[in-house]
Amino acid sequence: MSPPANHEATFQSWLEEHRGIFVKVARSFARGETGVGELQQEMMFQLWLSLPRYAGQAKPSTWIYRVCLNTAMTWRRGEQRRERRIEPEADLSRLAADAATPAETAGNKDLLEQLYSALQAMPPSERALVLLMLDGLAYRDIAEVTGMTENHVGVALTRARKHLAVLLKGVTDELE
Amino acid sequence: MNLNDYEAIWKRQELPVGPGADLAALRGTFEKKRRKLAATLLIRDFLEVSAGAFVSGVFAYSWWHMGKEGWPMVFAIALILGISGFFVRERFRSHRLRLGPDVPLVAKVEADIAELRHQRHLLLNIWSWYLMPCGGAIVIGGATVVRVLIIKVQPEFFSALRQHPSALAWIIAYVVSVLPLCFWGVWALNRRAVRRQIEPRLEELEKLRQSLLA
Repeated sequence: MSPPANHEATFQSWLEEHRGIFVKVARSFARGETGVGELQQEMMFQLWLSLPRYAGQAKPSTWIYRVCLNTAMTWRRGEQRRERRIEPEADLSRLAADAATPAETAGNKDLLEQLYSALQAMPPSERALVLLMLDGLAYRDIAEVTGMTENHVGVALTRARKHLAVLLKGVTDELE
Repeated sequence: MNLNDYEAIWKRQELPVGPGADLAALRGTFEKKRRKLAATLLIRDFLEVSAGAFVSGVFAYSWWHMGKEGWPMVFAIALILGISGFFVRERFRSHRLRLGPDVPLVAKVEADIAELRHQRHLLLNIWSWYLMPCGGAIVIGGATVVRVLIIKVQPEFFSALRQHPSALAWIIAYVVSVLPLCFWGVWALNRRAVRRQIEPRLEELEKLRQSLLA
C-alpha cells in the first residue's frame, strides 16, 4: 500500500467507507446524543490530523480503529469526570437509546440498545475488545489495533465475552 | 437469546451512509480546531520563554545601569536563562516523544503513562529546577543592587537606616518572608496539581494498561 497522495480525497473515501466505525465507537464510549456527536467529530479531527503520518503500513480500517479507540478512551476519561460532577447516576439504557440511529428497526432496536448499554458498563479495555470482536475482526487484526499478542487477545476476549454475557441478563454465551 | 444473536443484530444495525457531514464544513471546523490548538501551544511557549527573557532583560538593564559594580548580575541572568532553556528543552522532548492516536492502544497508554510520570517527577522536584535557580537569581540580583546602592548611589540613605534599626528589621523581614511565601505557594500549587490531576489520571491509565496486558 502506498501513502495517500491526496489527504482530503483519502479522508473523504475513508469516511464514506468506514463511517460505521465512528458511529459504533462513539455510541459505545459516549453517552447522549450530544456526547456521541462530539466524540464522532473529535475522532474525525484526530483522523484528519493523523493522515499525513499514514504511510500504508496498516490497513485503513486498522488505522481508523486505532485512532477512534485511542481518542474515545482519552475523551471518555474527560467525559467521566464531567459526568461525576453533573450526572452521577445516569440511566445507561435511556442514554444509549437517546443516541440510537433513527433507521434502526423497532424489533432490533431494543436489543441493540441493550447491547450498547452493556458495552458502556464494561471497562474501556474490554469494551474496545468486544467492539472489535462484534465488528468481526480476526484475532490478528485485534492484536494489531490494540498492540496485544494474539494469544493474549484470545484470553482477554474470552473473559470479556463472559463479562458481556453477565451484563446482558439472561444471555448465555454459546462458548461457555 | 445468546451472544451470537446479539452479534448478528450488531452486524445488521443500520448505520448512516456517507461522510455524514459536509466535508467543506468539517474541514473548516478542523482547521479552526487545529489553529486553536497551535495558538494555545504557541502562547504557552511564548509566555514561558518571554517571562525568562523579560526578567533577564531587567537584570541586564540593572547591570548596565550599575556599571562594572553590577557584574554579579551575570550569574542571575544565567540562572534565569537556564530556566527558560530547561522549558524549551522540555517542550522539544515532549514533542519528540509524543505519539499520535494512530499507534496501538497499549503503546499509546504506555507512552501516556511515561509522560505523566515524567511530569509528576518534574512537579514534585520543582524546587531543584525552578525554585532554587529562581530564588538564587533573585537573591543575587537583590544583593547586587543593595551592594551598589550602599557603595555608590545613596550612602546617606543607608547610614540613616543604620540609625533606625527597626525600619531596617522590617525591610529585611519583608524580603525574607515574602520570597519564601511566594515560593511555598508555587510549590504547594504544584503538589496540588500532582495530587488532584496527575495522580488520578495516572491511576486510570495504569488500570487501563493492566487490563490490556493482564
